[in-house]
Amino acid sequence: MWIEASKVSEIAPGGLKSVEVNGEEIVLCNDQGTFYAVSRRCGHMNAPLDLGTLEGYILTCPMHHAQFDITSGEALSGTVPPDLGDEAVPKGLGRYLQYVGMLMAQIKTCDIKTYRVRIDQDLIKVEVDPAAR
Amino acid sequence: MKPGSRKKALRYFFQRVVDPLGYKFTPDEEMADFLLEQEVILEQKHGIPFCPCQGLTKNREENMKIVCPCIPFHREHFDAMKRCWCGLFVHKDVTNPDELPQIPVSQIMRKEG
Repeated sequence: MWIEASKVSEIAPGGLKSVEVNGEEIVLCNDQGTFYAVSRRCGHMNAPLDLGTLEGYILTCPMHHAQFDITSGEALSGTVPPDLGDEAVPKGLGRYLQYVGMLMAQIKTCDIKTYRVRIDQDLIKVEVDPAAR
Repeated sequence: MKPGSRKKALRYFFQRVVDPLGYKFTPDEEMADFLLEQEVILEQKHGIPFCPCQGLTKNREENMKIVCPCIPFHREHFDAMKRCWCGLFVHKDVTNPDELPQIPVSQIMRKEG
């Protein structure tokens, strides 16, 4: 089922836009005039990918910087370790970060879902499965 | 995550960085592929694609100077050799990378001094 998701003129080259289509959260990506649609949720920890950055065909998550190929949804990299700086971290916070770090090390970065896209004049249409909800 | 896809992605990002610096990937495709594969392995281990030919220290600030492409942090040295330390990148005018040996930075500084 093809559903109108946005106008072409609303997404500049290199831009991202989140839309909800038939209950599915989707990010529309403009790679130099070619449009792609992927799941809005990161394959690592569900962060909103529309707040990330798009460099060519590579979408980077704003949360832990996992990267995805918008043409296939393939996860291209895992997370980047944070720089906590040289300042001493308060003891309680340090323990919490250590715990979160231990949990995060167990989380695999999965591929994200992609959707077929069709351009109809100024409209971007996305194909969604009506039975998917 | 497939190493081949990650190598392609690193190539894409690196190309954008090295081009304005006057460098290109080595024409030795086999060498470029091998070095990129080592970087993918390092990235899987550390989360960052460090230079595969330079040792990591316990100092994060120093380690950040060997994140590929590390050309901006070693410009004088690499420009003198017309290649980066491991040879993944060479000056744009280079056609035969085998003619470019590694020269220790101490020798280059001595010549200039």
